[in-house]
Amino acid sequence: MKTDLNKKYLPLTILCIIVLFALVILIDPVGPLEGKIDPIFGLYVSRIIKISAVYAICALSMNMVNGFTGLFSLGQPGFMAIGAYTCALLTLTPEAKQAVFYLEPIAPFLANIHAPFIVAMIVGGIFAAIGAFIIGFPVLRLKGDYLAIASLGFSEIIRVICVNAQSITNGANGINKIPTDITALLIFVVLAVVTIFMLVMMKTSYGRALLSIREDEVAAQAMGINLFKHKMIAFVISGFLAGIAGAMLASIVGAIDPKQFMFTLAYTLLLMVVLGGQGSISGSIVGAFIVTIAQEVLRFVDEPINIGPIHYPGISGMRMVVFSILLMCIILFWSRGIFGNKEFSWNRLFGKKAKSKLKKEGGEA
Amino acid sequence: MADERKLILETKDMSIHFGGLIAVNSFSLKVYEHEIVAIIGPNGAGKTTAFNMITGVYTPTEGEIFLDGQKINGIRPDILTSHGMARTFQNIRLFKNLTVLDNVLIGHHVHKEAGFFSTVLQLPKAAKEEEEMRKHSLELLEFVGLLEYKDEIASNLPYGLQRRLEIARALATRPKLLLLDEPAAGMNPTETEALTEFIHEIREKLNMTILLIEHHMQLVMDISDRIYVLEYGKEIAHGVPKEIQSNPKVIKAYLGEEDDE
Repeated sequence: MKTDLNKKYLPLTILCIIVLFALVILIDPVGPLEGKIDPIFGLYVSRIIKISAVYAICALSMNMVNGFTGLFSLGQPGFMAIGAYTCALLTLTPEAKQAVFYLEPIAPFLANIHAPFIVAMIVGGIFAAIGAFIIGFPVLRLKGDYLAIASLGFSEIIRVICVNAQSITNGANGINKIPTDITALLIFVVLAVVTIFMLVMMKTSYGRALLSIREDEVAAQAMGINLFKHKMIAFVISGFLAGIAGAMLASIVGAIDPKQFMFTLAYTLLLMVVLGGQGSISGSIVGAFIVTIAQEVLRFVDEPINIGPIHYPGISGMRMVVFSILLMCIILFWSRGIFGNKEFSWNRLFGKKAKSKLKKEGGEA
Repeated sequence: MADERKLILETKDMSIHFGGLIAVNSFSLKVYEHEIVAIIGPNGAGKTTAFNMITGVYTPTEGEIFLDGQKINGIRPDILTSHGMARTFQNIRLFKNLTVLDNVLIGHHVHKEAGFFSTVLQLPKAAKEEEEMRKHSLELLEFVGLLEYKDEIASNLPYGLQRRLEIARALATRPKLLLLDEPAAGMNPTETEALTEFIHEIREKLNMTILLIEHHMQLVMDISDRIYVLEYGKEIAHGVPKEIQSNPKVIKAYLGEEDDE
């Protein structure tokens, strides 16, 4: 981050932060403005922006493991589900719980607990982190595709538990009536904190240790890096972040059910990470916004369209076909994504490149 | 042999079997402080296997290995590094997409005392540690002559400098014993000469003990205090370079076929 906050561009950076902050408030008025002014682009847009920001946190959490540590994990939906269900059960009022759990009464130990959203979110994150820690012992011994399969399996197990643990999760009916009082401001503050945390972490010795594992495990171990410990650090932090993101998602949507946390969610998150650039923090955020917004914008391909005499009947799910093609194109032609493994910087945006000493001196051997 | 010197590395009858194949058979080796010892032998003689046992990649089937008096059989490579053993690889294994400075900084991570959270929160002690790490890395880069390239991506360096960086990275772990796996592989004569000088400099200025595997005879003869010769996993000779050069067994096994090697 320090290299990014080039003194010359500091005013520009501050200006951008202020504009973003103002936009966030205008999108979802809070505090004294609440109720006095309407969300600037309407509720629909404000909701999409909120969801994009939550997915940005998910993408960052996935990037931590996949982009920085070089582990191919697809366990994110499972961690998000843990966070979402924890948050839902903690924020629902006891009366609402009785109404929601009409098929089978809620487990007694859950019936009367209640906590404000912030607490529920953090508890959700902690539970997801504990889940990551437990599952990390077996799966982090695996490499490459095997790790992907095992983590995907874990995620599906969590989903199946959600379907079947009727008295805790209300089964396939899901949980609704979740208080939806989360504000865009809170989401963006959390996103900012997570981003700063990751930027700082990657500049420290531990961040470099994770990168070294991605670059070459054998060499990293020979340099004295305890592979398992460092993979576990990345995995647990990633689990925590996915957990709080899941909690926020529950609070935005107001209703959760196991189908939201299918393995397809892992692919969507992967698309965000790859599109933004694996190993780029700013890339993940940009990728999450592009993919989430595009998914909404592309809704028209699911619907019937008449272009003059041509009638397109509209195929539901067409969006996902378009998306899969997009993913394939990225992998084929642009596998490094928008940012590669670099971060956003004004210098790069304005086309100034750092000079290489090697190039200047020519091919001196 | 001056036996009153401190023994840094010792293997006693170290053997390893892969199924029916005996890759290294009862190999005993001693490396004293401040010494440069080379292991040579024809291709497939078991040199790298011996190296891998010493560095903890393989566990010997039989025999014992001692580092600084401590038995190290079967200890994981990362723990061995924290006990003072560092290595380089036959085919360079740098952290290719990271900068030269980051490569060396990663070598320091093994001695980091601050925990994860105090480091990320940049608590005073952790921040100070980080700063010292950086300072020491820059000193090390200056010593190996790579300071001007500190912000380059490692894979952009020319081959000779990549070798140097790999050695610098190993030195960053503050080893007692440095193991070099064919450091001159793929180098031209000028680069090899520079490397010979560089290894001498490491020994003299950093008071390092070095064990190396090498194919390049000129380098081995110039640099080593003592040489062990392996053939088919067995030691066939050991001694100072002069003795090895005139040992008929070695000439038959290794040097005899080609006059110039």
